[in-house]
Formats: sequence, C-alpha cells, structure tokens
Amino acid sequence: MMLSILLLIPLVGALLFLILPSNLAPTRMRSIAIAVLVVQLIWSLRLLFAFDPEISGMQLQESYSWVEKLGLRYELGIDGLSLPLVLLNAALTLVAAVCTRELSERPRLYFALILLISCAVNGAFVANNLLFFLLFYELELIPLWLLILIWGGVQRVYAATKFLLFTALSGVLILAAFLGLALINGSVDFSLSPLITENISMTSQLLLLGCLLVGFGIKIPLVPFHSWLPDAHTQASTPVSVLLAGVLLKLGTYGLLRFGLGMFPDAWALLAPAMAIWAAISVLYGSFAAIAQRDMKRMVAFSSVGHMGYVLLAAAAATPVALTGAVFQMVSHGLISALLFLLVGIVYRKTGTRDLEVLRGLLNPERGLPFTGTLMILGVMASAGLPGTAGFISEFLVFRGSIQTYPLATLLSMVGSGLTAVYFLLLVNRAFFGRLAITPADDPELHKRLDVQLAPVALRETIPALALAIAVISIGLLPVGLGSVSNAATGAMAQLFAGVG
Amino acid sequence: MPVIPSELVRSGAVPSALDLQRKLLASEPLLADTETHLIEVVDVLKSYGEVLDAYSKNLIYQAEDQFLVPFPLFKYLNGDKSIAKIWRHLCHDRINFEYAEYCMKSMLWHGTGGMDAYLDSDQFLNNCALIIARKRRDPLLGILNPLFPQFLAELIRAAATTHALGQFWRVMSDLFIDLASAEADGRVSSIAELVDFIKLGLVAAAANPISYGVQIDGNHYWILPPEAGLTFLGDVAVPYVEAVFLRGTPFLGTVSFNAQAQQISPDQAKFCYGALYADPLPSMGAGIPPSLLMQDMYRHLPLRLEQLYEGRTRGAGDVRVKICSSFQKAMFCVTNAAIAGTFPHGLAGADAAEIAADGAYANAWAQRLCQGRTDCLAA
Repeated sequence: MMLSILLLIPLVGALLFLILPSNLAPTRMRSIAIAVLVVQLIWSLRLLFAFDPEISGMQLQESYSWVEKLGLRYELGIDGLSLPLVLLNAALTLVAAVCTRELSERPRLYFALILLISCAVNGAFVANNLLFFLLFYELELIPLWLLILIWGGVQRVYAATKFLLFTALSGVLILAAFLGLALINGSVDFSLSPLITENISMTSQLLLLGCLLVGFGIKIPLVPFHSWLPDAHTQASTPVSVLLAGVLLKLGTYGLLRFGLGMFPDAWALLAPAMAIWAAISVLYGSFAAIAQRDMKRMVAFSSVGHMGYVLLAAAAATPVALTGAVFQMVSHGLISALLFLLVGIVYRKTGTRDLEVLRGLLNPERGLPFTGTLMILGVMASAGLPGTAGFISEFLVFRGSIQTYPLATLLSMVGSGLTAVYFLLLVNRAFFGRLAITPADDPELHKRLDVQLAPVALRETIPALALAIAVISIGLLPVGLGSVSNAATGAMAQLFAGVG
Repeated sequence: MPVIPSELVRSGAVPSALDLQRKLLASEPLLADTETHLIEVVDVLKSYGEVLDAYSKNLIYQAEDQFLVPFPLFKYLNGDKSIAKIWRHLCHDRINFEYAEYCMKSMLWHGTGGMDAYLDSDQFLNNCALIIARKRRDPLLGILNPLFPQFLAELIRAAATTHALGQFWRVMSDLFIDLASAEADGRVSSIAELVDFIKLGLVAAAANPISYGVQIDGNHYWILPPEAGLTFLGDVAVPYVEAVFLRGTPFLGTVSFNAQAQQISPDQAKFCYGALYADPLPSMGAGIPPSLLMQDMYRHLPLRLEQLYEGRTRGAGDVRVKICSSFQKAMFCVTNAAIAGTFPHGLAGADAAEIAADGAYANAWAQRLCQGRTDCLAA
C-alpha cells in the first residue's frame, strides 16, 4: 500500500482544496499545500528506506484488476529508475509551493492543480501498466495547461495552447504505440514487460518505437519538437517553470528509457546510432540557441533542450555507466534547472525584467542581489558541469559511458557542454557583473549616475534556492547515494540491451 | 524593450558647468537648499568630524612617536599597547586609520602647493641630513642610508605630510563638530548658512602656521620649521582638496584594469578619481567610494541621520552607499566654501578686471566640478 498512499497524499490534498472555503487567505492555503507536500516528501523518503537497492526489478508492487476488458490494471511498482524521480518530484513540488508568493488570483484552484500534477507525476513514475502510465501522463496535461493559461505572462494563451497541442500530440503517439502493441499481439495485455514485444516483427517494433520516440521526444523535448518549451517557460510563473523543467520533462526521458529501451531492446539497437546523432544535434542546437537569447528565462529553457539531449545520448549508448549517467542527469538537471528558474524568478520579481541587454551589476553587494547572484554563479557552474557539482558527475558518467559506443556523438555533445559555459558566463557577465543598472545604456553619462533602488531579497525568499544549491553540491560531492539506488536497475536495463547486442 | 518600473531607477539632474559657475559667482550654494540636505550634511559632517579627530590624533602620533621606526607594528594603537587594545584592534573594533594614510600618500604623490615645494628645498634636505646623521646610530638605518641615500629623506617627507595632514584635520574636525552645535542651537538653518559657516572657519584658520619638529635623544630637530612660512589654507588645505577630493588615485587592485581600458591619464593633473567623482556604488573600477571612511563614519552616525536612512531604500542594508552620497553632498559644500573663500577678488566689486578674474576662477572650478557626481546636488 505504500505506493498507493504516495498517490493518495497529493490527491487527497487536491480534493481538500476543493472543499476549503473560498474566502480563506491565500497564505493559509499555501501553508496547507506546503503541509501536504511535506507529508508527501516524508513518505517518499520512507519509500527510500523501504527500497532494497540490491534488487534490480520492481519493488513494493501492488496489483489489482480494474477494467480487465481494456487491459487496464491498477499496477504499481518502483525500481531504481523511478525512485530518484519520485524523490525529485516530491522535493520540487514542495519547492514550487514554497516559492509561490503574492498569489491573489484563485489560490484554491492553483494549489489544487499543483497537488494534482504532483499526484499525476508520481503515478506515471510508479505505474506498472502501460495504460495506467498513460492515464497519469495525460492527467498532468490539463492542470499544467491551466497553470500557464491562468497565472502566466502576457502571451500566456499562445504559450498554453502551443503546450497543449504539442503534448496532446505526444500523448496520442504514445497511446497509438500502446494500442498498436495490443493490436499486433492480439491481446489486451498492457503489462510492463519486454516479453510482450518478443514475438513482434522488427518492422512493427521499429514503427512502435518510432511512435514512442517522437511522442516522448516532444515531451523531453528534443529538436525539432522543442519549440513549445521556451514559450511555455517564458510565459509560465516561476513555480510552474520549476515544475516543468524539474519534473515534467523527466516524464519524457523516463518514458523513453522505461518503454522504449525497456520494451523494444531489439529495435532500440537498430535505431541507437541515429538517436546518438539526434542527441548531439539536440545538445548543439539547444546550446547555440541559448547563446542567442537575451531573455534569461528563454536562455535557461534552451539550456534544458540541450541538457536533456545528454539523456538521449546515454540511452542510445545503453551501457551500465551511461544509463547510470542518464539517471544522474535527470536528477541533476531537475535540481539545477529548478534552481536557475527560481533565481531568474527572483531577478524578475525584483527588477521587473529578465532582459540581458538591460540588467547589469546585480552582484553589487550594497544595492544589488548579491546572494541571488552567488547562487546563480553556483547554478551555472553546476549546469556547465564543474567538478564538485551534480552536473559534473552526470555529464562525466554520460560521456564516459557513451564515448566508446558513439565517439562522434559524444564528442559533439562535449562541445555542447563547453557551450553551456559560454552562454551561462554570458548571462552572469551581463546581468551580474559591472555597474548596477537596469536600464538601456543609451546614454553612458546618465548610465553612470543612475541610482538603482531594488528591494532587498529576504532570506526566506532564497531558502528554496539555497536548499536546491545544497542538493546540487551534495550530489556532486557524494554521488554514491544516488548511484547505489539506481545501479541495479540501470545495470539490468543495460544487460537487457547487451543481450540483444 | 521591457518596461522598467520607474521607482526602481532614479536619476538626479546634472547641472551644467555654466550653471555651477553662475551659482559660484552669485554666492548661491551648489547644493540645493532643502531641509533634508541640511540634516544629511550637518550629521554626516558631525560623524566625519569625530572620525577626523581620531585620524588627526593618530597621524600626529605616527609622525612624532613612530618617526623613522623601521617596523611600526603598533602605529595605530596611539601608544596604548595593552592586551585589551590589541585584541580590539585584531577584532577590527577600531577606526580604519589606513584611510588617513591613503589620504597622506595621495597628497604626497600628487604633490601640489607650498609644502611640496618646501619638501624639495635645500633647507629641508639639510634638516634631513642632520636628522639622518643622528639616527645613523640605529644599525638598520645606518645600513639603509648608504645603500639608498634618498630612502630616509623620502620617509621624512612622508612623516612631514603625515603631520601636516594631522594638523589640517585637527582644525577641520573642530570646525565640523562646531557646525553641528551651531545647527543644533539654530545658528545654522540652511545650506547657504552652512557653506558660509565653513567658509568663515577656513578663512579664520587660513593663516595658521604649519610646522613640525621631532625630538631625537633629547634634541629638537625641525622638519617643517616656522621660518618656512607654511600656512594652513594654501599649503595644506588646498593641496588636500586637490589630491583627495579631486584627483584621488585609481584603486590599487584595478590599476591594470583601468590602464588596459585606457582610462588612466598619464598626466596626474587630469586624474579624476577623488571623493567628488567617486561612484557611491562599489563597482570594481576606479572612482571607488572611500569605503573605509564610510565604515568609520557609520560607527559615529548621529541617530537623526540613521533614522533618515532607515526610511530610504534598504534601511541599514545599503547604509554605506547612502553615507557616501551624503558625504559627497557635504564635500561639495566644503569645496563650495573653499572656492568662496579663495576668490581672487571680492565678489561685490565693480572693477571689470576683477570681475573677469573672478569669472575665470569660477569657470575653472565649474569645469572641474561638473565632471563629478553633481547629480547629488539636486533636491
């Protein structure tokens, strides 16, 4: 029942918000949401203690019949691939709730949607049945669409609609793949096992895997299906961006590993070289596009496009080290991108702009945002993969695990890693160094005499970012904890692939 | 282009050189005459006066009691070598006497005025020779002098400048404390009266003699003898204003940065890194604010000014920027008073040649001042 309780905690929380009196103060509602999410985090940590890292297969399994005629069973299970992502979801949803401030519009709905997303993401990660996974995968779609549509920026309608269209198409493709599997098999067995694909012809396997690749590729997102992400991030509020980059993109990479590699190892082996090149293109495109941005948030969004490409590279190589790197990359990208979006959010709240042509000298100790700037430097260093941070461990493992299998794609991805340092140093240099100013430098004399009066950042505003920064450093210094949780599962997955090879 | 909330950015009006010249000739204060400005200037000068008192005492102590001491480890302790004093010093519970030394070095380096000329005279070198001959009994100095014959003379020049700056600040400290009393009992109630008060104080002390001598083995030796005829205003005050308020020095740590950016003029006279040009926001370049002085003034900030700052921007969070801004306003007032007290001719005169001379004098000052942080002058 442990996994069912994990799903019930945010679901009951979301339902609780529907019966709360509408005149309750938003701050009170925020406190209730935080309390529910703390309980969820504690329960997720309890799962960690109940989890046996030596076992490679599913643990804490639950299985009940639901709609047998459709092949839909209530099947839950957790392994070393999904557990880190469940923990990441619990942590980042809590961060999203904590960093929600000045919410005046429909707070009841807002927090209910946040909790519903958390429930859906948990469900997708622990679902042990294809249709059950899809149910949760689709469930997070509408709440996120509403979160962008109602609490987004000026062009929120455009961004939300684009997000909806892209991710709905993603869901349709994944559903098509699952239904196609049932059609070819001639049964309604949607259980999560490579055995259900072993009697399928290679052509059919390639077709089904292609559907999954594009479907999850939209969600990750991989070039050229990425264009919804920068728009969604730019228009979404900071907490929604944290969820989107930190957790929801991981549904795509998780789905690719779990259903693509896990169920179609034969077809995967055929497509892997093309995927490696695709990953390199995605990494390079994301990095070059990030360099060209002047909006800080779009820059971080494009960096996500690039960094998620590493996961595809690792998945294509599918060696034990590379797959461990993929898990590390998913977790570290979740933490680092959430950290960067939080900090960009603070900068935007204090200065009213994210424009790199406008912001200057925010590291100023007297009138700027020195602590925010310090954390930003740490965040971009981690994203660029500097030793001592989570980014280094994950990139090192991905590259180390992939270089022998796909040397060219790995080398190109390494160039992308170098480009991360380029665009993030541009960001730090433009926005945080120099003389403090937040106006276009059209008149140098006037510029020198500007008296900038930013409101200071209270310590409580930086606590979520500080917690994420500590997590990024902790994983960088002590990666063994996360590695031991995921090693058995990734090892088994690699063995499955190696058996094919 | 995104819309930037206007309350986040303020920009003070920058008066033209013509405007400044007109005000100087009309005896109008450069700083806008407002109640807030009066509080800022009086209170910041009061805290400055208290800091100058400490600086002055220490400079005179260094020049008299640490004269040619090879390793002046305790030069900031004013002779008190108790454990408690040393502990407070190590914990940095103290005034930043280093700032006073920077000002002295700046004066020595820029070297303007009558004292600098005297420090290069034969009479001064003769006095130095007498002192060095006496001091040669010190083994270290006995070795250093033959090896580097100009070294001890240069140390004595530094000691002379140190003592002269100590004497100058003694007068200024008393003047600024008196100004605070005058404002408290209603004798000064506007910026115009404040500038006038400082001008009268400077004029009253203008002819004060500047002299300096040391005791070595019971014998007295003159370094700046009374017969050199050095006086307060012309030989110390004006060179001080030139070196510290106007020229200043590029920040040591960023000399190379500014040099690479072609920002440092080879002509020292064209330097504009002084207090009147300093950017109150520390921004890692030349034209830095006198941050050590800011810290010292913060220790002595009057309650009224502290409360005024509390209501602005970040309260105590950016207090040094606010002190710097108020300090620049105060220094504009002091400069204003110094200019008013040193016009070649009385401003009320009708002689065309005199009017032209005063106009040229005011214009020269206005040209230099208008490059400074004059945006602080507006109300």
